[in-house]
Amino acid sequence: MSSRKIAPPSKIDRREFLTATGGLLLAFTLDSGNRAAQAAGITSTVNAWIRIGTDESITVLIGGSEMGQGAYSGLAQVAAEELMVDWAKVHAAPAPAAQSWVTGGSSNISGHAQPLRVAAAAVREMLIAAAAKTWKISPDLCSAANGKVLNTVTNASLTYGSLAALASTMPVPANPPLTPASSYRLIGTPVKRLDIPGKTNGSAIYGIDVTLPGMLFAAVKHCPSIGGTVKTVTTRTGTRAVVNLGNAIAAVSDSTSSAREAVNGVNVTWNIPSSAAGVDSTLYLQQAQQMMLYGNPLTAEAIGDVSGAFLSAAKTLEMTYTLPYLAHACMEVLSCTVSLTANSCDIWAPTQAPSWVLGTVMSLTNLPASSINVHPTLMGGGLGRKIEQDYIAQAVQVAKAVSKPVKLTWSREEDMANDQYRPFALARVKAALDSKGNIIGWANRIVSPSILYQRGWIPDNVVDTQSTEGATGLPYNFGSRIVEYIRHPGTVPVGFWRSVGHSINTFVVESALDEIALATNTDPLTLRQRLLVNDMRSLNVLNQAASLAGWGTPLTKGHARGIAFAASFGSIVAEAAEVSHPSSSTIRVHKVACAIDCGTAINPDSVEAQMQGGIFHGLSAAMWGEVKFTNGTANVRNFSNYRVLLMREAPVISVKIIQSGAPIGGAGEPGVPPIAPAVANAYAKLTGTRVRTLPFFPGSHMSDD
Amino acid sequence: MITLIVNGKNYSVNVDSGTPLLWVLRDILQLTGTKYGCGIEICGACTVLVNGSAHKSCDMDVGEVAGKKVVTIEGLSPDGTHPLQKAWIDQQVPQCGYCQSGMIMKAAELLAKKPNPTDSDIDGAMSNICVCGTYQRIRAAIHQAAKG
Repeated sequence: MSSRKIAPPSKIDRREFLTATGGLLLAFTLDSGNRAAQAAGITSTVNAWIRIGTDESITVLIGGSEMGQGAYSGLAQVAAEELMVDWAKVHAAPAPAAQSWVTGGSSNISGHAQPLRVAAAAVREMLIAAAAKTWKISPDLCSAANGKVLNTVTNASLTYGSLAALASTMPVPANPPLTPASSYRLIGTPVKRLDIPGKTNGSAIYGIDVTLPGMLFAAVKHCPSIGGTVKTVTTRTGTRAVVNLGNAIAAVSDSTSSAREAVNGVNVTWNIPSSAAGVDSTLYLQQAQQMMLYGNPLTAEAIGDVSGAFLSAAKTLEMTYTLPYLAHACMEVLSCTVSLTANSCDIWAPTQAPSWVLGTVMSLTNLPASSINVHPTLMGGGLGRKIEQDYIAQAVQVAKAVSKPVKLTWSREEDMANDQYRPFALARVKAALDSKGNIIGWANRIVSPSILYQRGWIPDNVVDTQSTEGATGLPYNFGSRIVEYIRHPGTVPVGFWRSVGHSINTFVVESALDEIALATNTDPLTLRQRLLVNDMRSLNVLNQAASLAGWGTPLTKGHARGIAFAASFGSIVAEAAEVSHPSSSTIRVHKVACAIDCGTAINPDSVEAQMQGGIFHGLSAAMWGEVKFTNGTANVRNFSNYRVLLMREAPVISVKIIQSGAPIGGAGEPGVPPIAPAVANAYAKLTGTRVRTLPFFPGSHMSDD
Repeated sequence: MITLIVNGKNYSVNVDSGTPLLWVLRDILQLTGTKYGCGIEICGACTVLVNGSAHKSCDMDVGEVAGKKVVTIEGLSPDGTHPLQKAWIDQQVPQCGYCQSGMIMKAAELLAKKPNPTDSDIDGAMSNICVCGTYQRIRAAIHQAAKG
């Protein structure tokens, strides 16, 4: 190995060997950097595991969750690099829940690739040490390649599988050497994802697919109003059980369809609190408008003399934007399967938080962690929804009421109407410009419900940084700036929606910048270039996207371009959209040019897919996404009135990945934030109409075009 | 008892004839590759072939398909090597993958009818929903499969 120079940043603290299986299983401990866990006040340690079988199989046990973002595969790819094994021999599987981490904040690869590399490198060195001991030579005379250790003196070789047992007795190197970038075989290459073949032949098992012998099926129906509870419920003939879940009921039957029929036929009455009348999105917006003017803001960020800037300004602008509640609408509805006995529980869940599932089961069953097996499954999308525990707790409660394994599955209607929604927001930007049009003062005030406060994770008088992310820490060199936050007290349950606060604040910031460009007769790209002169990495991303889009080159008549930029989750993304406006009820986005600098793209093809996915997700929401509430009831029930882009409506997306070598950033979320403002900016250029309220086309139904 | 022919095998199922085919496939025959997405024939995650035509199984009574030939994703090819399945892997189409069984079955119908579809043919036929936004790669994969 020529790669013994780089000192790894993570040290291995602990190991466990399970040699009973005849193979080598290395576990190591490292700190969790996950922001959801941090926000919850959880400072957990997580382990990653590498298993080498005597059959030469290499299994990387992943503590994160696979919801389509390619996390299993990307992390396994990193391990395979250091292990010096053939990619075709590598498998990925979920790690035990107690050693898992919460998948959120686009952190699977950015937070865990490096520690996993160190672990994999340690395993490789232990295999080399085992071979050296076998041959009674110095490890320096051995090298690893293709799943074998080679004796460089005799050209003999030993396979990893044959060395695994002995390797497990070798000391764990504290600082194993890592492969330098110049020698990468796998990192940075578009290897085929491990999870894809099973997704083309029906064999991939999602949470909703879990099948156990003799299991029953449960369907759920929630109180129609947020905050309501079951008042009376009666059993129903032909139904195996009806379970009171507090704010919902479940019916258990012999198939999902009969359980649904049963739950809809159960005679249930609800206690609807009088406060439900106030759970109204129109009322909320009116409240927010008052709070914007008269509320007491908390300062999220303040740099320079903003008041002075506004006093001396040659021109000031004021712009207010409104963003709606959004549903997650994962393709796979919520589902969970539980097999519970007096002294054990097995639970299968499509979950972004296996360790939280463990906690939920412990609290509801009083079983010790050692008696609970959490089996995280593939997810048909997570998007932040499957971090939550509501459906998990329901399935456990139902399992307690029946004596057989049971799978609980929500209907699409329940899924849409009982989400933990992306918060709505009202945000105002005031800009102070000097006589040359430079932004000398920037004041952004955000009124929005707080995800973290609603969960009791932060006190009342603290800024929810997830409500202000994307508004603070901007790389733009404004002369002075202040970002303020006012918490709206709305009780609609709010949660983490792909890119969280960035999905709100980037629309505001990037729309406002475009309005400033228009007001100062400046090209929107030029304005941003001037604001980024001190940040070459961001400027490069912006320029790459503009170049990919052919910014400034002639367009088809009736088309216009818009651009937007966002740095989120450790990555920098710019997107330029080319749009037309074929009818009053639609915008057609023809092309999107996207540039991302995520430091190092472990699998560029996966990063491209995530950019495409983020852009689609953000664009569907910008076009039509909105959940309204009246008397505590959501107005959306299905894809018919919560639309998603169809193929014929989809833009062609080109992605430029910049391998800058900066620390690895996220990919799952950063594609989302810039698309809504990029399209709004193009639309304003095309029509002269500035859209300050999302979605572009509220109230749209599938059949509207 | 209703007699079904699914992926070339005969099954007798003891369910009400009004039960949606989707749930018979998933809960009784344990062919879980066919997915539930919306239940109202919009998203297409539940698409299967019935006598060669693509149908959304979520709102199709099992009684309607008695004696007809039903093909699900599990039966599209014996070993996952249908040209569409190979193209789906080559183009690395799936992200979460949940909609892809339905997408592939819909594409199978398209190619059976139009062996060399244009982009416009594909856009017209492929009206299934993918929340991950894999459409661009789906289009490329269908073209690849069409070329053989």
